[in-house]
Amino acid sequence: MTAKQARNIAFSALVLIAAAIWIFPLYWALTTSLRSENRVVSEGAGVLMDELNVSAYIDVLSNSKLPMWYLNSVGTSLIITVIVLITGMMCAYALSQLRFPGRKALYLIVVGSFMVPVPALYVAQFVLMSDLGLINTWWGIILPQLIVPVVVIVYKQFFDAIPKEMREAVLLDGGGEFTLLFKLYLPLNWGITAALAIITFISAWNNFFWPFLVVTSESMMTIPVGITQVNDSFGVFYARMMALALLAAAPVIIGYLIFQKRVTEAVMISAGVKG
Amino acid sequence: MSDTGVQLKDVKKSFSVVDVIRGVDMEIKRGQFAVFVGPSGCGKSTLLRMIAGLEDTSAGKILIGDRDVTDVDPADRGVAMVFQSYALYPHLSVFENMAFSLRLAKRPKAEVKEKVHEAAQVLQLTEQLDKKPAQLSGGQRQRVAIGRAIVRAPEVFLFDEPLSNLDAELRVQMRLELARLHLKLGATMIYVTHDQVEAMTLADVIFVLQGGYVQQSGAPLDLYEDPSNRFVAGFIGSPSMNFFNATVVARADGRLTARLDGQPDQSFDIAMTTALEPGTPVTLGIRPEHLVVSEGEGMRVTVDVAEELGGVSYQHGTLEGGEAVIFQQIGARHGMHGTVQTILPQTDRIFVFSREGDRIR
Ligand SMILES: Nc1ncnc2c1ncn2[C@@H]1O[C@H](COP(=O)(O)OP(=O)(O)OP(=O)(O)O)[C@@H](O)[C@H]1O
Ligand SMILES: [Mg+2]
Repeated sequence: MTAKQARNIAFSALVLIAAAIWIFPLYWALTTSLRSENRVVSEGAGVLMDELNVSAYIDVLSNSKLPMWYLNSVGTSLIITVIVLITGMMCAYALSQLRFPGRKALYLIVVGSFMVPVPALYVAQFVLMSDLGLINTWWGIILPQLIVPVVVIVYKQFFDAIPKEMREAVLLDGGGEFTLLFKLYLPLNWGITAALAIITFISAWNNFFWPFLVVTSESMMTIPVGITQVNDSFGVFYARMMALALLAAAPVIIGYLIFQKRVTEAVMISAGVKG
Repeated sequence: MSDTGVQLKDVKKSFSVVDVIRGVDMEIKRGQFAVFVGPSGCGKSTLLRMIAGLEDTSAGKILIGDRDVTDVDPADRGVAMVFQSYALYPHLSVFENMAFSLRLAKRPKAEVKEKVHEAAQVLQLTEQLDKKPAQLSGGQRQRVAIGRAIVRAPEVFLFDEPLSNLDAELRVQMRLELARLHLKLGATMIYVTHDQVEAMTLADVIFVLQGGYVQQSGAPLDLYEDPSNRFVAGFIGSPSMNFFNATVVARADGRLTARLDGQPDQSFDIAMTTALEPGTPVTLGIRPEHLVVSEGEGMRVTVDVAEELGGVSYQHGTLEGGEAVIFQQIGARHGMHGTVQTILPQTDRIFVFSREGDRIR
């Protein structure tokens, strides 16, 4: 065995250990969810998956408002994604391609708003939503999440990179701003659009604190908020909580498996902008 | 309908404080092939883009045909432009690239198809219609860019250094195709280039731009044979004209004698209508092809570099006074490198300029 092979093996072992550490909580959640509640808290419940009991799942699916929560999560996340992308794209196009007074200042505001931590706005937003009578509504969940400066910044960077001549060719061919945006700038950036859609959707789906604040009625909750309800209504029932958590994560996990490459790209892009 | 293709009337352009075009008048006849030449940064592209409507005009008027288009949108001017970078739409097929303007104009499908196929035929692109621009060679991309212009049937074609991204051989080929296309379409064409040969071979009329003005315009050979100032004389022709400082020493009826400052034993007898006082400083311009090696007296040149091109060779050297000289020899292998040669100008091909650069005839 050469030194190089030895190093490779050592490296692989290290990676395996790291992966195992990372995946253990997931594994533990799965194991727990497949046990009976009694077994979970009984002594001697080991690390090994020794039971395949789906009662926690059945219970959660039949006794909670999970289907409603799914619907709320999917609905609000989709609406947020669509609106964020359309407005972000248009805003970025204007900032990148149109010349108007105050353009630079506007861009600085967008970049600046990127620096404000979202939780700092919760109180003001809550008061606003309350004044607008939007507590316990989809729009109450959606509206504050529509401000995503990173989408504007990323789109602007990509729009900036499109050669000026292409824009001029469209102008000569008889196109206006809408033709430019929807027939040139957008089609040239489908990849980035998909990536931005994915990160926007995931962050809306995963958002816990805002929906938790703005929704109190059980039927309007999104899945992450719903998970806490299991706690309340059943006491601490670990198997059911884990089952619910896994069900909540399932669409994201499945989505990830399908769009693996795009998601990785998306995370890298947003990390690139944020870092 | 008049025969005006494009007319500029005292057109000016400033970018904030920089005056790029300071006052250009030109008239290009319908169907003419006009070429803009000039040093880098002199505003050729800017002027072309102003004609296209891609840049605002700071002052003056632009007419296409009889129509004042100074404030008309680019798409409504009846112009089409071919960019140096081609600016093809990378996400669309060749067909859709060419069809883009027709689709925007909501032309019927059958008409779109017919026009695109017609243009593709002319440009030998029929086989490539389904491909994306990235799958084409440089020459084919160039043709698609031209095709995109052709389908719009514009009154005026604008080309901004369209061949400069191609290799030498393809450039020659495309140059010929452009000449053919011009004959076939008969449309007015305006063409910006750095390339002397393109300018000389394609142009019906050349406009030499510099310092924000048209220095001279005219048929290629007229500019070559009768430049109106030192700049044009130096710019047209390759390698460029030699310039020597000289002083008028004598004048006679319709002639003058000028002595080289750099080699005072040499003076030339030049036919002139303008009578210059003896003692007037002038600049003599002599093209490399009009300097001949002589056996006897003449300008003594130390040759330091020889460019042997096969058919001709260009001998680069310095005069005794230190001025640089290029002279042409027919054929190659003259072995002049490092030697001192004696050369004489053909005196009827000497141009006289004032020291300010104006031609004196
Ligand atoms: N948008 C602009 N803003 C400011 N200055 C500009 C702009 N466009 C061009 N210029 C300036 O105008 C001058 C002429 O530019 P232009 O591109 O027309 O030159 P050109 O003759 O085409 O040069 P080249 O032969 O290198 O292509 C240059 O000095 C350039 O810096
Ligand atoms: Mg240019």
